[in-house]
Amino acid sequence: MEAGKNQSLFKGKPIKILLAKPGIDGHDRGILVLAKAFRDAGMEVIYVGLLPTPEEVVDTAVNEDVDVIALSLLNGAHMTVFKKVADLMKGRNINDIAVVGGGTIPEGDKPKLEKMGISGNYGPGTPISKIVEHITERAAEMRKLKSMEE
Amino acid sequence: MILLKLDELIQGIIKGDRRSVSRAISIVENEQVSINAKKIIKEIFTHTGRAHIVGITGPPGIGKSTMIGNLAAMLSGSGRKVSVVAIDASSPFSGGSLLGNRIRMQESLTRHGVFMRSLANRGMKGGLSRSIWDTVKILDASGSDIIIVETVGAGQADLDVVNLAETIVMVLGPGLGDEIQAIKAGIMEIGSLFVINKMDLPGAFIAQKDIEETLAMSPKGEWKPPVVGVNSLTKEGYDDLIMEIDRHGKFVKKSSDIAFRKFRTELEITIDEELRNRFYKEIRAFLSDNEKIRILMEKRTDPYSAAENLINSIA
Repeated sequence: MEAGKNQSLFKGKPIKILLAKPGIDGHDRGILVLAKAFRDAGMEVIYVGLLPTPEEVVDTAVNEDVDVIALSLLNGAHMTVFKKVADLMKGRNINDIAVVGGGTIPEGDKPKLEKMGISGNYGPGTPISKIVEHITERAAEMRKLKSMEE
Repeated sequence: MILLKLDELIQGIIKGDRRSVSRAISIVENEQVSINAKKIIKEIFTHTGRAHIVGITGPPGIGKSTMIGNLAAMLSGSGRKVSVVAIDASSPFSGGSLLGNRIRMQESLTRHGVFMRSLANRGMKGGLSRSIWDTVKILDASGSDIIIVETVGAGQADLDVVNLAETIVMVLGPGLGDEIQAIKAGIMEIGSLFVINKMDLPGAFIAQKDIEETLAMSPKGEWKPPVVGVNSLTKEGYDDLIMEIDRHGKFVKKSSDIAFRKFRTELEITIDEELRNRFYKEIRAFLSDNEKIRILMEKRTDPYSAAENLINSIA
């Protein structure tokens, strides 16, 4: 094995993912565990820290040209804040960055989030492998879109 | 993102459109020496050479990212267009990376609208990533006045930034060692200016004195590297730091030697890569032909002769 060479499906072009907790929520243990898990799964992970605004999240995603934005909230504001991120993306015509969610999200909200294009929406107790798998799938979709552009 | 054709992308870079800039960086990062990546650089090359490229290097945890946050805010406050690229290490095991520099500068990035990009070194040794040369060109062509490049937390032999940046800011702090450490070869020789960060901590003045004495013993060139003490919490010393960066920037733009050396090194790296790329297909094909390799082994051909024969047959 050659040092630094990506071993995953995305050979030499690791998945780039942005992790964010937009909104007033300081519970960051979960997202930090995921950050490390994604790193170990061969992804390039950017964590913007606590309390970024939805605008900051979208700006950062564009500047960093990530494949996936992963949002986490445990404070119940997901229907407001996740929606804001989805609206901003739509407003700027960005369709090749996937948005996935997670946190404490009631079952009833999940279809509504899905409808906004926010997939996953995993809660506590989800095996990390399942989350990694979902993100890899979404990233693969995005890469396909990007490659058609050129 | 909207449908972007390569020509539109190139026009976008020159106009300073952020989406074009960031997509172009992905292309040079992910598809190095591909036709697309090369075309971008060829087309924008005439628009490069204007920006002042400043490398910020120093050991891990010394405060490079925080310093860049402060510098970016102050420089763009004075009306300059600032771009930042920060490089972090990739895992040698998974190839993954946690790009954590942004978190230290997010506030000033947002407030001043500074473009910032995180890159993983993807296994490249020396403190940089292979795509950084092209990335800097894209940022240069997009109209940046100053491009700040943060290296991976550097060890004593991570010197590659000398081939990229015009001005090298070596960030040090208290507690890194005595004057013997300071006169060792390697990273201490490449600084255009030295910064002692964390001036509020005990030992900082001693560190500053050690560095100053070491520099006083060095051969006197045209440029005498200054030592600046700063406190990143109170922003003390930052005015001096910016003044010295600008002063060195003017000095470098006058010196054709530095530009020549940088150009030659880059040429060398590019030729190496182009060569390897050109023969890649033949070499892979050769290596996957088990039959042929087995014959070589059974005939007890030495590896030098085998390699020479292969290269002679395709070159």
